[in-house]
Amino acid sequence: MSTLHAGGFPEAVVRDRARRGTAAVFPDRAEYGHALLGAVPEPTPPDVLDAAQLVPPVFMPQRLEKLIDLAREPLHSDVDLATEVGGFRAALPLYLSAFGSTQVASVNLGAAAARQAGELGIPMVVGENVVPVNGYGRLDDAGGRGLRGRITAYADSVADGVGGVAVQQSTEDADAEVWNLVYSDPSALPLLETGRLAFELKVGQGAKPGLGGMTVVESATADRLAEQFAMEPVFGEDADRVLRCASPGTFTEEILRQQIRLMRNNFPRAKAWVKLHPGRDIAHAAAVAWAAGADAVTVDGAEGGTGWAPTAFLGGVGLPLAECLRRIGVPAGCLMVTGRVWEGLRAAKCLAAGARATGLGRAALIAVHEDPERGLVRLVEALALELRLLVSAMGKYRPGELDAQDLWHPEGWDTTVNLGREPMISVPGRETP
Amino acid sequence: MDLMRTDSAPALPGSPREHLTSDTTRAALRVQHVMLDAARAYLTEQGCTEVLLPIIGPVTDPGARGAKQVDVDYYGHRYKLMTSAILYKQAALTTFDRIFCIAPNVRLEPLETANTSRHLAEFHQIDVELSGASRTEAMAVAEGAVRAMARRVVETARPELDVLGRDPDAFIDLLGERFEARTHAQAVDDLAEIGHQQNPDAEIDWQGEALLSAKASRPFFVTDYPKGSRGFYDREDPERPGTLRNFDLLAPEGYGELASGGEREHAYGAIIARMRETGENPAKYRWYLDMVREGIPASAGFGLGLQRVTRYITGVDHAWQTVAFPKVPGVVAP
Repeated sequence: MSTLHAGGFPEAVVRDRARRGTAAVFPDRAEYGHALLGAVPEPTPPDVLDAAQLVPPVFMPQRLEKLIDLAREPLHSDVDLATEVGGFRAALPLYLSAFGSTQVASVNLGAAAARQAGELGIPMVVGENVVPVNGYGRLDDAGGRGLRGRITAYADSVADGVGGVAVQQSTEDADAEVWNLVYSDPSALPLLETGRLAFELKVGQGAKPGLGGMTVVESATADRLAEQFAMEPVFGEDADRVLRCASPGTFTEEILRQQIRLMRNNFPRAKAWVKLHPGRDIAHAAAVAWAAGADAVTVDGAEGGTGWAPTAFLGGVGLPLAECLRRIGVPAGCLMVTGRVWEGLRAAKCLAAGARATGLGRAALIAVHEDPERGLVRLVEALALELRLLVSAMGKYRPGELDAQDLWHPEGWDTTVNLGREPMISVPGRETP
Repeated sequence: MDLMRTDSAPALPGSPREHLTSDTTRAALRVQHVMLDAARAYLTEQGCTEVLLPIIGPVTDPGARGAKQVDVDYYGHRYKLMTSAILYKQAALTTFDRIFCIAPNVRLEPLETANTSRHLAEFHQIDVELSGASRTEAMAVAEGAVRAMARRVVETARPELDVLGRDPDAFIDLLGERFEARTHAQAVDDLAEIGHQQNPDAEIDWQGEALLSAKASRPFFVTDYPKGSRGFYDREDPERPGTLRNFDLLAPEGYGELASGGEREHAYGAIIARMRETGENPAKYRWYLDMVREGIPASAGFGLGLQRVTRYITGVDHAWQTVAFPKVPGVVAP
């Protein structure tokens, strides 16, 4: 198997979870009864989300509600993680992010991740530039590498009534008519007919906001792609590789609004998703998308991304995910976010800050790389256990019940835009105040 | 009819021989021949020159909702089969002021359209483009063309209508009265009144069209579609941003849409902006944009679906019954 690294990402622990699953949620079992385990401060909190804490209350009216419902004290296992995500029913508040056409995703890992995401019943996003670069897999010889291979791998393993596939299209994909192709393809029909197909309009890139997609391709491939993409010999004129650049596409408020309306007009049976880069006007852009009828807005924080990006962009361009969440405040529609999520704590913080679901990108790739058969399933099982523990600790039993009250930050989480409600429940035989 | 009645004809064509030798096919194609003759005569009277437009090109009409274009390897370049001739129609107005074309189109329609009785993957349009014309003028020509075709059929193809079981009296209103027009917004309201929820930002859906169509006794226009429902070339009303100066022509009796048309965007900057609003990459439209930048005439025009008009006039159940070698979406056929 080829090597796969994710610099700056907690790769070792992700691989550990891909191997050991829920066992890796806890400290080493051998230490049980011997070690004193307290808070372990992180060396330096890398971002605001990491610095934030989830803060359970003492009084828990929603736990009382659950107690009444169950007629026994609730446990974390009573948390129902099933959620509506972008018009789909998802078994968990998670989704598999698009990997793009990067070399690492192309070599069988994409299909392995798709199959496991299907098994888990979580939505999957695929396709950014996959068709223009790898083909679709119908008359070409792309096989499982192509878009169709990934959709089929997912559809074959997903249970009825859950999950769904969102197919991205960027400006360059529009030339390849990815959406038209999928919408009229027999292999996508089972998903379309069961309301489990979405199209995601790719407005921007998480890892390189303001730029289009970038991949390194062999010079031979470059000749084939030259009509669609700009090729730049950044590695030297004689190098056997070139940088393939897609244009980012031009958006204004009106362009975004009309593109979404056209999606809904042209593909009435598919859900309409919109992916935004972490731009400074993220709240405005998300509001425009929801108002135009988008079923979901997905935001890649500046921490995310699986593809090739200039180091200047990786280090210093784009809003951090936490700031995106703060600026959006209480979302007017379904908000889905990604950005260095691999375990339940960060995922739960995102949900508390307004997201409906969090995406797994690099973590999913590393997990399937560690174990192509079960890696992602185990990683997600561990994450799901943590989510149940964390959600129930807040005295809540659905992930959608988390809100900004559950979040504390040393400098204050801006709850003025996200004032959580005090739940009012009526207890039989007792007056509510 | 159509969506509301029990079909008497099979939902799909039989073998090529069965289809080609059936009395229904022969009668429908004879009627179509008469209609084409009448359309050519009428459009020629209107000062239009018939120009044969390309079948393949580097780019085609992106405006067909949900339909896939067909790629052609043109000496190593990706070309498209025409989904409509719109771009070439506009460009050809630099040759003649008024043109028409009986244009073959291919659209790989979504599989769900196999059951609508009016979608074909391969079909023809009577394409008309009129330099300097307003929407009103284009609508008048579309109305005149349909009336000329129907009149010629009623006058000269009675035996064929008998074979098809089509009562010529079905066209009394069409031949005697002007076609009415209502706006898209009015159509949405009309549909809401009869309990059909129509997205006000989108084209009238197929069921909605069938419902409106079923209530009419002669063809009628729907105008002023919202911007997000059409391709970049339908002109946005400068007085009412977000509304297009376009129209659809719908047949009565549940037969649904026959034609789409309108005034065209012809200003370079407006076309580029509209291309982005419809998700298009201007880079692939180079030849067209080069022409637009140098100037093409303002115009209005329409594309009239030949098989759909034939279906309406012959009264057959399915559009494929009006084609010698039909291609129903998703069905493999010669």
